[in-house]
Amino acid sequence: MSTTSEITTEEILTPSGIEEKVAVLADGITNRCGDDDVAFVGIFTRGVTLARRVAEVLKQRGKEYPVGTLDISLYRDDFDRNGPDFPRLESSDIPFAIDGTRAILFDEVIFTGRTIRAALDGLMDYGRPRKIELAVLVDRGHRELPVQPDYVGQTIPTASNQYIQVRFQEDDGKEGVFLVTESDHE
Amino acid sequence: MSDLQPRKDLLDIESLSLEEIEYVLNNAVPFKQLFQRSVKKVPTLRGKTVLNLFYEPSTRTSSSFEVAASRLSADVTNFTVGSSSVVKGESLLDTIETLQAMRSDYIVIRHKGAGVPGIVAKHTNASVLNAGDGYHAHPTQALLDAMTFREVCPDYAGKKVVIVGDILHSRVARSTSTLFQKLGIEVGVLGPGSLIPEGRHDFMQRFASWDDVFDWGPDAVYLLRVQLERQEGQFFPGIAEYHKMYGLNSGRLSQMRERGTWLMHPGPVNRGVEVTDEAMGYEKSLISTQVENGIAVRMAVLHWLKPETQQD
Amino acid sequence: MERLFKNASIARADSPELEKADVLVGDDGVIKEVGKDIAGDAVSDCAGCVLVPGMFDLHVHAREPGAEHKETLATCADAALNGGITGLVLMPDTSPPIDTGNLVKSLQDLVSEASSIPMLVAGCLTKRREGEKLAGFSGMANRGVVMLTDSDRTVPCPDLLRRCMEYARDFHLVVTSHCDTPALTKAGAVNEGRVSYQLGLPGIPAISQEIVIDRDIRVAQHTGAKLHLQQISTAHALRAISDAKATGTNVTCEVSPFHLLLSEDDIEDYNTAYKLDPPLRLPTDRDALLKGLLDDTVDAIATNHAPHTEFEKAADFASAPFGVAGLETAVLSLYDRFIKNGVFGWDLLIRKYSVAPREIVGQQPVAIQEGEKANFFVFDPEGETKVDARYLKTKSHVSPFLGKALAGAIRETVLG
Repeated sequence: MSTTSEITTEEILTPSGIEEKVAVLADGITNRCGDDDVAFVGIFTRGVTLARRVAEVLKQRGKEYPVGTLDISLYRDDFDRNGPDFPRLESSDIPFAIDGTRAILFDEVIFTGRTIRAALDGLMDYGRPRKIELAVLVDRGHRELPVQPDYVGQTIPTASNQYIQVRFQEDDGKEGVFLVTESDHE
Repeated sequence: MSDLQPRKDLLDIESLSLEEIEYVLNNAVPFKQLFQRSVKKVPTLRGKTVLNLFYEPSTRTSSSFEVAASRLSADVTNFTVGSSSVVKGESLLDTIETLQAMRSDYIVIRHKGAGVPGIVAKHTNASVLNAGDGYHAHPTQALLDAMTFREVCPDYAGKKVVIVGDILHSRVARSTSTLFQKLGIEVGVLGPGSLIPEGRHDFMQRFASWDDVFDWGPDAVYLLRVQLERQEGQFFPGIAEYHKMYGLNSGRLSQMRERGTWLMHPGPVNRGVEVTDEAMGYEKSLISTQVENGIAVRMAVLHWLKPETQQD
Repeated sequence: MERLFKNASIARADSPELEKADVLVGDDGVIKEVGKDIAGDAVSDCAGCVLVPGMFDLHVHAREPGAEHKETLATCADAALNGGITGLVLMPDTSPPIDTGNLVKSLQDLVSEASSIPMLVAGCLTKRREGEKLAGFSGMANRGVVMLTDSDRTVPCPDLLRRCMEYARDFHLVVTSHCDTPALTKAGAVNEGRVSYQLGLPGIPAISQEIVIDRDIRVAQHTGAKLHLQQISTAHALRAISDAKATGTNVTCEVSPFHLLLSEDDIEDYNTAYKLDPPLRLPTDRDALLKGLLDDTVDAIATNHAPHTEFEKAADFASAPFGVAGLETAVLSLYDRFIKNGVFGWDLLIRKYSVAPREIVGQQPVAIQEGEKANFFVFDPEGETKVDARYLKTKSHVSPFLGKALAGAIRETVLG
C-alpha cells in the first residue's frame, strides 16, 4: 500500500494584489508612525524585498526610511522547522544606528513566530531600538510563541497540511502569493 | 540545490569536497562581519560544550578556537595536557573514555601523533576538530589561509603562491598547499634541500632561489616558521645562513613591494630568521588578517559540523 | 592410534605436481605407508585436500620469559600449529635476553614444558644485546643454540661485528643480522617517501637498512662467517645479496609474507597493524621481493611473529610498537594471493618455508614419506578462513588481515 502526495496550488494574491497589500502596509505605517525615527529591517530573504518595496512606496510619499537586512540563521531555535540543514549565511547589514529608533521588522509570512523571535534577538544584538514592531505580508496563523504582527497585508487562515508560498520577482523570478495544499492519498 | 551531507568531524583537507570548502569559506564571511558589532556573540551553540584538548602547547590556535566557540555562546573548557603527565599510548584510550563520559559536543584536539584526531573521532559521538596532528594536517589553518587569499584575490583560480621554509615538518604546508591546489591555485616551494621532503606532491615545483621565485611571479609569499629548537645544526648550519638564503630580507621585500606580492605567515613569527622587523611592517602583509579570519573560519566550522551527541 | 588420510594430494619440495595418495600414520607417529587404496580405520577424508610438509619459521618472538602478557610459549605453539608451522626459532630478545648457556637451558626447559612443537633457541651476539661485548658463545653452543643474533638490534661497531663473526665461525653458528641504522631511523614510523609525507609521520629511509646490509655482507665476506639477513624489504638489498651470492659469499636471507603482499600504499587510516619493522616499502620493492623469492635470491620466508597487546597497538601510529603476529596468517595469505592464482606452487612454499629454513639452522628437512615422522598439515583449498577471534590462537589479535577472509583453510596439523 503506497502513499502518494498530491500537491494543489491556489493563487491567493496576484501581482497587483501584492501591490495592494504593500500599500496597505505603507498606509498603516504612515498612520501610526507620524514623525518617529523609523528604521526598517528586512529578514532575509524575502523580508528584505518586502521592506524595500514598502520603503519605496513611502519614499514616493516623501518619507525616506533607512532599510537594513538581517540574517537570522544563527539565532534559530531547535524547533524551527524552516531552517535548512546547511544554511547559507548572509551578512546582515544594518548600516545605521538603530539605538533609540522605532525599528520595524519585515518578513513575508508569519507562522509559528519563531523566526520573528530569532529576529528580535538578532536585532537587539545590533543595538537598542526604542520600540520594535513587525510588518508581514501574510499572517497564516498557528502561533507557537506570543508574537503578533503590528502591520498585516492579509490574514490567510491555513490548515496544518497547507503552507503559504510567497514569490517575489526580485528573488524568485515570478510574482504571487499561493496557498499550497499537500494531501495524502492511499 | 545542495549535495552537502552531514559531517561529524573535520580531520583533514583531503576528505573535503569542493562544495563543502565553498560552503565553509562563504559562511565565514558573515561570521567575520559580526566582529564589527559591539555584541560579537550569537546564540547558535548555546548549551553546547566545546572541549579544547591540547596535547601540545599553543596559545594562538587554542585561544582562537576558544574565542570562536565563545562567540557562538558555547561553553568552553580548556584542557592542556602537559606532555610529562601523559603516558604514551596508555592515555589515549583512557582519555577517549573520559571524553565520552564528559559528553562534550565538540572536541578540538591538537596532538603530536599524526592520526590521533581520527582515532578520537572514531570513538566519540562528539564532533572532532583537528587543530594539528603531528606533521599531518591543520585543516582550519588551511581554511583561514584560503579565506584570506580569496579576500585579496577574488579571482583566485590560476593564481600562484610560494611556500617558503621547513616543508618537511609542516602540517600547515601540507594542508594549505592541498587546499590551495583544490581551489586551482598553483603552489611552489622554496627552502633548504634538507627541509623539502622528496615525497612531496610532484606538482609542487621547487625553486632553487628567491630569484627563481620572483621570475615565476607569485601573487603571495607564504612564510613558514623555522623551528629553531629542532633544526639548527641538524638540517641547516644556522640561523644566519638560513636568513641569508631564505629569509625575507630588505632586498626581497622590495621586490615584493614592487610586484605587489602579498605576505602570509601562520605565526608565530621568528624575527631575524624567516622575516626581518621591516617585513613585519609591510603594507601588504596579511598576517593579522589571517588571525582575524581564523576566528571567523573556526566559527563557520563549528556551525557546520554535526555532532552525534544529540541522539543520546 | 593409527590414522589414515585418504584421497589426499601430497605436496613436495621438488615439483609443483601434487601426488594423489593415501597416507597411513602409525600410532607411533611415523608414516607407515604412502600409496593407493590403503585400508584402515580412523579415516580422514582428504578428498580435495593437500598434505603439506610442516613449515618452519626462523624468526619468532614468543615473548616468554618477560612479556607473557603479549604471548607465551604455549600460545605461540598453538598459533604455530594453527598456521601449519611445526618448528621455529625463538628470538633471544626476551627479558632477560638469552646470552649465556644457562639461560639457553632455562628457555629450553620452558619450551619442553609448555610447547607442543619443537622450538629452537637463538642466542645473543652481544652481552644483554647491548652491542658492546661478545656474549658467551661457547656456553650457548654447548646447549645447542642454532643462531646468534641481537634480534631487532644492530651491532653498532663494525669492529665488534667482525670479532663476533670471526668467533662464531669457530662454532659453525650462523650470525643473523637485523639491519638498521638508528641514527637514520630515529623516531621513524613508516617508510620515508610519499606516504610518510601524506600521513605526516616521521619516515624511515630505506638506506637505514640497506647500508647495514651492505656492511654486514662485506664483513661476512672478510671473515668467512655464515651470515643470515633478516626481513629483507627493498629491491636494493636483493641486488646486494644476489651479487654477494654470485661471488660465493655464505649469505642467506629471509622475507616476511607481509612484505611480499603489502606495500606502504596499503596502510589504512593509521592502522597500527601495518606498522612493521622494517616498514612496508614501495610497491616496486614488494614486487622485487617476490621476484627474488622466485629466482632464489631470497632463501626463506619468516614471519617475524611479533605479538603485542591490543592495548599497546591502540596507541597513535607514531608511538605504537612495531610488529604484529604472523604465524597464523602466513600460509593462508601466501596461498590466497600466490598459490591459488598460480604465481607459484606448493613446491616453492615448501622449499622456502620448510626446507631452507631448517637447513639454515642445521635441521633435517621433513617430508611426507614412509619411515618419516608425521610432520604435515592438511590444507583445504576450497575452504575459507576468516581471521578473527574465533580463529586466532595467538594472544595478540592485531593483524592487517583481521576481519578479512583468506582463501583456504588449514584443517589440522599432524605432528608425530
